[in-house]
Amino acid sequence: MTATAPLDRAPRARAAAPLARSGRWARVLRLEIRRSTVLWAIPLLAALFFFDTFRTADGFAPIWTVRSSVINTNMIEDFGPFAAGLAAWVGSREGRRRTGDLLTTTVRPAWVRHAAALGGTLFWLLLTFLLAVAALYVDTARQATWGGPPMWPVVVGVVEVTTFAVIGFAAGALVPGRFTAPLAAIATFLLAYVGFHAALQVRPGTPTYALLSPSTSVPLGDVGVFYHVAPDLAIAQVMFMGGICVALAGLLVLAPLFQVSYLRGFFSVAGRVSRWLCAAGVALLVAGVAAAATAFALTGTARLGVSGWDIPALHDAASDQPIPYTPDCAGTSFTVCLHPAFSPYLSSVATALQPVAAEVAGLPGAAVRAEQVTGGYGSVSLQGLRLPGASQVSDIAGTPPVYDFVSDNGLAPLWGTPAIAGGGFWQSGFQQEFLIAFAANPASFSQTAAQQAVITALMVAVGSPAPQFGEDMTNGQPTAGATPAQIAAAAQRFESLSPAARHAWLAANLPALRAGHITLAQLP
Amino acid sequence: MTTAEVRTPSATPAPSGPRSWRGAAGARLIWLHLRSRRVPTAVLTIAVCGGVLRAALHWNWTFHSGLLVQEVPMIIEAGAAAAVVVTTHSPFGEPERTAGRWLPYLRLGTTLLLTGLAIAVLELTVAGASLNGGILVLARNIIGFTGIGLLSSLVTGGLLAWVLPMGYVAFAEYALNEAWVSPWTWPVRPPADRGAWLCAGLAFAVGLAAFTARGARTRLSDNS
Repeated sequence: MTATAPLDRAPRARAAAPLARSGRWARVLRLEIRRSTVLWAIPLLAALFFFDTFRTADGFAPIWTVRSSVINTNMIEDFGPFAAGLAAWVGSREGRRRTGDLLTTTVRPAWVRHAAALGGTLFWLLLTFLLAVAALYVDTARQATWGGPPMWPVVVGVVEVTTFAVIGFAAGALVPGRFTAPLAAIATFLLAYVGFHAALQVRPGTPTYALLSPSTSVPLGDVGVFYHVAPDLAIAQVMFMGGICVALAGLLVLAPLFQVSYLRGFFSVAGRVSRWLCAAGVALLVAGVAAAATAFALTGTARLGVSGWDIPALHDAASDQPIPYTPDCAGTSFTVCLHPAFSPYLSSVATALQPVAAEVAGLPGAAVRAEQVTGGYGSVSLQGLRLPGASQVSDIAGTPPVYDFVSDNGLAPLWGTPAIAGGGFWQSGFQQEFLIAFAANPASFSQTAAQQAVITALMVAVGSPAPQFGEDMTNGQPTAGATPAQIAAAAQRFESLSPAARHAWLAANLPALRAGHITLAQLP
Repeated sequence: MTTAEVRTPSATPAPSGPRSWRGAAGARLIWLHLRSRRVPTAVLTIAVCGGVLRAALHWNWTFHSGLLVQEVPMIIEAGAAAAVVVTTHSPFGEPERTAGRWLPYLRLGTTLLLTGLAIAVLELTVAGASLNGGILVLARNIIGFTGIGLLSSLVTGGLLAWVLPMGYVAFAEYALNEAWVSPWTWPVRPPADRGAWLCAGLAFAVGLAAFTARGARTRLSDNS
């Protein structure tokens, strides 16, 4: 042995020290993962996912955007409260067992213990969450005919589960007690619902801060199909929730300062906590609050665009360009075309439209082809929000006339599973929408008595059930100008005519009928 | 003197002191039991739940019509039930069970007291506000959730007994959305539905009986 040997080993030892430290931390993390309480809750989470999220998504149209919307609504309601509650349970461990003083004497600072405990909890929560997302996406991939899995909902979901867990953990660490875990779970559950309720109330022209809640209603079927869904809102949500996480991490780093009950104790603890650790804690706190506040302010500037809610400071104009596609078509004399994302519905739509299109073929303004168009709703959903100037209802337009229909017509939307769309009730609804566009003003919510009678007669003539129009009443009088019985009688009279006679009458009177100038008595 | 005399048990001593002393000792026993279960904090928590429910109704955090009207009230009712079931945890564990014969009665009384208090407090706080379903649904939900929590405490221990009621609430949210009608999904049923009352009452009765007899599990929660 020479005198230089120890000197040679010193740098190697110094270099190996961080590795050893990280190895020890990894061992602590491994212990936390192995003994995590979340393991006990995984069967419950899996059951909730299957009953709530998976079954709900399975009832939606096989469109990626629509199916993935359950990640930020149903799945978060299933995972979020448990993430918060179980993390609070883990976070309150030292306080619950009164081992805080004992652990203060160990070589590891409190934030290392907290990080390992939170890491062990998050490991199982996020693993379960991602496996559930994978199951959802595999199921969707088996049914979807166009597009691919959207990643932003997954990112937002992961950040949201993490945020719920960090909120719960911080509550448990700072206010340990037997009530902390259930209260954290209930509070986050309530927060998710209040946010969901507030997000549903957002309208263009009203404050849009509630859009920070990722839980909102299910988007309409063609969202993300004709135009990309802009990631603006998702970015703001991630920034907001990430900011909360970072700020709470700062609070946890500074936790020893908060766990003293009198002023002298505060200064003595402040003296013991590392200066750098204090600075890091304060920096995290400030950075987190700044990020959350910025995201909050940005969300307030959101406005409705073709690609959803746009935030000008984050918006990429390229996402406003339509997505090119080749439509799937069926039929020869009367061609029906759908976006490839809706291909599973093609046969149902064609079966519904062919007979009624043949019945009115050759008449002025009769459509020679049917084509699905965008509703132009952006990421608007069942709230009834629409972009000015966008197609709102199905209509017949152009030369030669083309029946442009949207995916969410009120009577027979391209919604639910394609099997539902094949039913007789759905098909007669689609026919009724087509005939309303042909014989009446599609933008109007009600039709005149003569229009109702003609539409009824044409549908019965092709073997469909008589449509239901409802009876609108104003001051005790039917708005249509006649009672349903009178309309039914007129429809039966018109339907009993020969096809040639019906055709001839319509050819002569169609413009007046569309304008609402024909009365029930004028029908043959 | 023989050893027989030593082995012969002496007659049970008559209770010493006046009856009022025994009453005071009983009251002290009850108070110590309530304190060991953190009942005062549970009462405070229930009051907070009542305040939150009132705020939710006042500031329109809830839906006014449709299938979702019950969601927010149901979550808050689950919070009150969770406060009740968390008090089932004993800080003394196994040794307490050997300490006397009054423990089952204390468990029974505490749970009944807190459940009744939760119903009363939440009903008082919503007085005058338009709670959908009224006080009958509120009472039924608290009774049912507490019953599930009591059953859960036998397996998970008192401190984690809130997990199963929370899972049930999350499931009931789905049942609300899907307009289920099974009586065992009692939160979705009308106030006077007999089957729903039967299921909620059954959950409470079985949970209370089992908890009274056995007490909450003392292992799993404490070791986690």
